[in-house]
This record gives sequence, C-alpha cells and structure tokens, in this order.
Amino acid sequence: MRQMMLLALGGVFLAQMSYAQDVTGDPQAGRKLAMQCRTCHGIEGHAKMPIVPHIGGENPAYIEHQLTAFRDGQRVHEMMSVVARSLSDQAIADLAAWYSAQEPVATLGPGQDPANAPEACIACHGADGIAQIEDAPNLAGETVMYIDTQLKAFRTGKRTHEVMSPIAAEMTNDEIRAVAEWYSSVRFEVKPAQ
Amino acid sequence: MKHLLSSIATLALTAGLAQGQAANVPDNLDKLSNFQTTGVTEFTFIEQGGDYAEGIKASLDKVTLPDGFKIELYAVVPDARHMAVGPQGIVTFVGTRKDKVWSVTDRNKDRVADEVKDFAPSLQFSIPNGPCFSPDGFLYIAEQNRVLLFPAAEFFYESPDVAAFNLVAKGDLIPEDEESFNHTARVCDIGPDGKIYISLGQPFNVAPKDKLEKYKKWGIGGIIRMNTDGTGREVYTHGVRNSVGQDFHPETGELWWTDNQVDGMGDDIPPGELNRQTEMGQHFGHPWFGGGDVRTNEYKGEEVPVDVVMPAVETIAHAADLGMAFYTGNMFPDHYKNAIFSAQHGSWNRTDPVGARVMVTHIDDEGNATMEPFAEGWLTEDGEYLGRPVDVAQLRDGSILVSDDLAGALYRISYEGN
Repeated sequence: MRQMMLLALGGVFLAQMSYAQDVTGDPQAGRKLAMQCRTCHGIEGHAKMPIVPHIGGENPAYIEHQLTAFRDGQRVHEMMSVVARSLSDQAIADLAAWYSAQEPVATLGPGQDPANAPEACIACHGADGIAQIEDAPNLAGETVMYIDTQLKAFRTGKRTHEVMSPIAAEMTNDEIRAVAEWYSSVRFEVKPAQ
Repeated sequence: MKHLLSSIATLALTAGLAQGQAANVPDNLDKLSNFQTTGVTEFTFIEQGGDYAEGIKASLDKVTLPDGFKIELYAVVPDARHMAVGPQGIVTFVGTRKDKVWSVTDRNKDRVADEVKDFAPSLQFSIPNGPCFSPDGFLYIAEQNRVLLFPAAEFFYESPDVAAFNLVAKGDLIPEDEESFNHTARVCDIGPDGKIYISLGQPFNVAPKDKLEKYKKWGIGGIIRMNTDGTGREVYTHGVRNSVGQDFHPETGELWWTDNQVDGMGDDIPPGELNRQTEMGQHFGHPWFGGGDVRTNEYKGEEVPVDVVMPAVETIAHAADLGMAFYTGNMFPDHYKNAIFSAQHGSWNRTDPVGARVMVTHIDDEGNATMEPFAEGWLTEDGEYLGRPVDVAQLRDGSILVSDDLAGALYRISYEGN
C-alpha cells in the first residue's frame, strides 16, 4: 500500500509540473464572480449546504483543475456542470485566486487522536484534513455524505484521478464511511482574507 | 457488583423495549442487526435558546404574512429538511441531508419545542431526508438507498437504541452505482390505499438516453410505491426530474407533487412544477420536457414517445419548489381548507435570486390550481438568503410548521385573526 502511494504521488508531482499556468488570477475579480457561488459555497467558501464542499482556503491548483474538469466534461455534476460551462480560463483563475486567498482553520474534534487518522489519506490530506500537496482538496469538516459520495465516485469511475482512483477501488463501503467520519469530525472554519 | 446489576437491569429493559417495538411488524421484514449500529448510546441535544436562536428570531421579523397570521421560531434543528408529525402529536421527526434525524418535542405544549435530540443515535444514517408516518404510528425514514421502519416511534424514541426494520434494505432502493448526493434526498408518504410512496430523483441535470431504460425499470426519475411489508413494489409515476415534495388530496385521494426542473437554459425557463396525478403510470415529461412544455436542448426535435401530463401549476423558474402539504386543520380561515402549502427553497443559479418563501395553492371546484406567495422575506434586497424553507407540515392544533435547512430551524405559523 505504502509503495503504491509513493509511486502514485510521484505521478502527481509530474502531472503538476506539466500543468501550464497561462493566466494569473485576480482575487478581487474572483470575489465578484463568487456572487454566483455563494448560495451554495458561501462567499468565503464555507459551505451553506451539506451537499457542497468547503472551498475557502483550498489550493488554487485544485480549484482550477476541478472547475476546468466540470467545464470540459471530465467531471460531471448536475449543478456544477451547468455553472462551469460558461467560465473562461481567466474566470476560473480569478475564482481560484479568491477562494484560495481565504485561510482554512482545522481543529481536531473532541476525542480525535491524530494517531488514529486514516493512514492511506494523511500523506496528501493531512491528519486534520488540510491538504499537504497542491492537487488535493482539504477534507476537514466536509459532511460524511460528501466524502462518502466522492470516494464512491472514484471507486465506480464516475470521477477519476491517478491517485484516488486506485486507492478508492480497494475500499469497502465501511472503510469509506470510516474515513468520511474521521474528516467530518474535524472542526473547520474559514478565516476571511484581509 | 452494583455496576453489573444496573447493566443487567438496562439489558432487561432494552430487551423488553425491543420486543415491544417489534409488535405488529410484518413477519417478512428483517430487524436491523446489532453489527450495523454505531455503538453510540448517548443523545446529542441541541441548545434551544441563546444567541443563535435570537439571530433567527431577528430574521423572522422581516418575514411578511397575510393579516392575522404570525410566524415564530419553533425549534433550532440543524440542517432541517422534511418533517413528519407524529399521529399522537407528541413528537415531530425531522430529516437531514447529512447523517442525522432529529426528534423535536414540545413537552409543555406552549407551541415552542423544548427538546431537540437526535433520533436513534445508535444507527448509521445516509441522507435520511424523508421521514413519514403511517396513521397507526409506524415511522418510515427514506434514505439515499434504504427505507427503515420504526414501530411506535413516537413512544420508543426516548431510547437511543430503538428497534429498526428494513422496509427496503441498503442497496435495494436503487442500484448502488446510481447513488448521487444532490438528487437522492427522498420524501415519502403513506397513501389513502395504505401503500408507501417514495420519490426517486434522477441524478443528472437532464437524464441521458443510455440510462432511460434502466431508470424506467427502477422508477429513478419517478415515484415508486409498495405495500408496507415491502412487497408489491411498482413504479407509480414516470418522467420526474427530481421531486422533493408530495401529499395526497384529503378528499380526492389524488397524489400531488412538486418537481425541480432543468438548469442552465436561462433565467426564466423552464418553469418549476406542481403536478396532479390522477392514475398510476402517468408520465410527466422528463427528459423530453425540461419543465412545463419547454423542450430540453438534449432531446430537442425528437418525437416524444409517451403521453405527457402537463403540470397543474407552472411556478417561477428555478425557485426550487420542495415540500408540500394539504391543509386540513381548523385554525386557519375557511378558504385555506384543502389548500396546498408548499416551500420554495430559492434559486442557486439565477441572476436575480427568487424563492425562499412559503406558497399557498388554492384549487377551485373545477380543479384549477393557482399559487401565490404566503410567507416571504427570507431573501434580502441584495440577494442574500436569511433562510431557505424546505418543507411544510401541519400540527394537530391546525398551525403549520416550516423547516429551513440554511438557518437550521423549524418555524410555526399560526392564525390569531379571530
């Protein structure tokens, strides 16, 4: 397992290097665009509904990759595919700049011992659910069902990622639920950008 | 030794409870076994007063209603979605799109809840959005991919380890690879025929062609019904996009239900829907129609292979019509008798947001339905939501409850115009 993880991680870094940054995001322009995101994700990226992830303080590369994937059809969601369809590269960079400018604050919940954090996840997502690498999302404080749904999407192939797909493929429903419960129990706040 | 004794006593009590709870459950239904539980035996209680409640009350000051009506905070209930009021009027169960069901009790009957705690904390739920009661006190909870039943829930909910039975076992409601998050918030109701009706939203914006045969068979993008012993499952309704609200007309027994329509076609099309179904097997248009008679781009120009029933009411586009209930109480003025109260959750992708209000629909003698706003003010002038109504349910005294999953609250609307 460990070996697979390391190999997979190597792939991530390579992938990141080959991902060209053509446009630079402007956080203030992104804030304006985020008016269309706020009903679900909150203006600072603290989610307003259980079905959506917190995106405040996410790595900009992760936001850009996901919005691009929704726009271009590699990732499908009944709401996000509609929203992302009309976003330009510049708009995506601006949104990523705005949401990544917020500061994510994660605190382990009562009774959570970091030693019990899910071993297969912590290298990238941290014990407290704050991402350790560029192309991983923060998982702290996401709802159980959000994490559960995403892991199952990786397992069935509805969502694909070179690291996550093989990891999720090996997971049982109970293992998925346990990971989801761990990260969901972490308290998550977004400290607004100055 | 004392410890041992008290555990034995607890065990005996629990065993007795479990036995009592199993009475009258159809023989063929499996009791959920212990290894499927979380091991949690303590309740989570939600604080009812304090700053949070005061904040909600301040928002309610902005809500307007017809003369003589008032709205008050009834309970703080995190993530409150659909509601089921117990037939004895003791407790209201409230679903969520997370992993909890809340029980809400007004012990002193001052029409404000005094206790909100999680229901059956020993059970692991997945999107338990839709609770509903049978007249004889069985509580059903429709989850993402399971339906549980709890005998005499109104009496046994005080125990954290309440007996649960599979009406539809996990993974049998829909194929597991069709599970999604957004469109798997179910609602259920027991019909006048004694069968349980369960909505099954389809997981796409517009259902793709290669899924249609499979979905038709399962009733995904439809409403299914079955006997309350789990037998006789059949698809009652076809051509639904994502229905999250239904109720039976108190006199005709016909099923009325709301449907959320297609996104991404523009701010003003297609309309949302309130539908009236007069017989089993009717088709309501999805995916050929995106809402009302507006054709979807994906199926544009194609011949519609089914007879389509058009909505009874076309509602403003993207307002997200969700939960609904016919009014049968005695508190409100006479012309509200058999009217439909329904909730508009509010739009998420419209340039100027609409919704976040409670609507009322009057049905005339010829069956024509007209909908108008009843309670509004949760949407501010600069387009921010102070609350987002989800469902409406009637209390025994004839007042109505409205749930709100943004503020995390139940409101009570009463009439004092007399």
